[in-house]
Amino acid sequence: MSAARPQARRGGIGERRLLALTALAIAVAIGFVAYQNLGPSAVYYLTPTEAQQRRIAPGAAVRLGGQIEPGSLRYDPASRDLRFIIGDGITRTVVVGKGAPPALLREGAGAVVEGFFSTDGSFRATQVIAKHDEVYVPPAPSKTPPHRTP
Amino acid sequence: MTTTAFRPAPPVRIRSALGLASLLGVLVAGAMALVWAPPDANQGEVQRIMYVHVPAAWTAYLAFGVVFLASLGWLWTRRPVFDAVAVASAEIGVLLTGLTLVAGSIWAKPTWGVWWTWEPRLITTAVMFVMYVGYLLLRSLSTDLAGRATRAAVIGIVAVVNVPIVHLSVEWMNAQHQLPSVLRPGGPALDERMLATLIVGTVAFTILYAWLMVERVALETARQDRLSDLAHGGPAR
Repeated sequence: MSAARPQARRGGIGERRLLALTALAIAVAIGFVAYQNLGPSAVYYLTPTEAQQRRIAPGAAVRLGGQIEPGSLRYDPASRDLRFIIGDGITRTVVVGKGAPPALLREGAGAVVEGFFSTDGSFRATQVIAKHDEVYVPPAPSKTPPHRTP
Repeated sequence: MTTTAFRPAPPVRIRSALGLASLLGVLVAGAMALVWAPPDANQGEVQRIMYVHVPAAWTAYLAFGVVFLASLGWLWTRRPVFDAVAVASAEIGVLLTGLTLVAGSIWAKPTWGVWWTWEPRLITTAVMFVMYVGYLLLRSLSTDLAGRATRAAVIGIVAVVNVPIVHLSVEWMNAQHQLPSVLRPGGPALDERMLATLIVGTVAFTILYAWLMVERVALETARQDRLSDLAHGGPAR
């Protein structure tokens, strides 16, 4: 047999193009990640104070994040009206929505609401998400917070 | 005509020991997660999904770190075993990241209220998943061992930047996903039994990773031998 080692098979022009496209797609993905984390306008939610500072216009889609003010959470199952006040310690915003809130939504805990400001300054939520912190503790016998689900 | 000697498979002793250890680890971790660890005061029993979600995520980070090191190893030494380790670890990392995303989604629905939201931790994890799937796709485009190993190694080195980005995303930006419960200033914010269960779960996942790696690397080196025999103009005998 031939003593010379044969050339390894090389891809044709089609394969090289596919290679280039894949490399490009990967580069785009990397660029996207970089932009997500370094772009100044890349925010998941604004606090009520930030929303006020940025003068978010009524009708503009935005997310607000904050704590639910104790005593403010109201849900009426008949009309499916949901209402609570979200705050960040400085600014308070009334949130109005439709539909049952997530099971973990409770007063004193966090929430992220997606929607828009209405002209009267209240926030019309199209989606309400409960936000919890990173602390996990077992239930204490006399202190289990009320769950909405068993 | 010369034939390449068959590379021997790893000893059955080691493979069986790792396989058995993986099984035991998963059983012990599962029992601790389902029975021994206490429920959460806030979330109740559904919080136990954490014992799949977090170890899977951490072991995926480990897997992608190994891809990074093996990619460096290939570029430095040109020894095919490094390329085999890189592809094996990338495959397992992709599986584990997929598991992290699915378990996280199942956890999010009853707790947050949604299956998914485009927030920083979820986005960066999804990007990491897609990038390593791209790494695997790139490899499948060619049978030229050295060329594809080098191309893949470049991706394997760049893509590891995803790992710190995913982890730090919740600290850099306002996010829906909460801050880390273990790797945080002030120490872990977990009950002791929860932390112990989490550590045992992570050890179990790591042993499982090691076992899958041994099997997959052996398979890959056998394939490399096969391909290089074909390139030399005939099957090995």
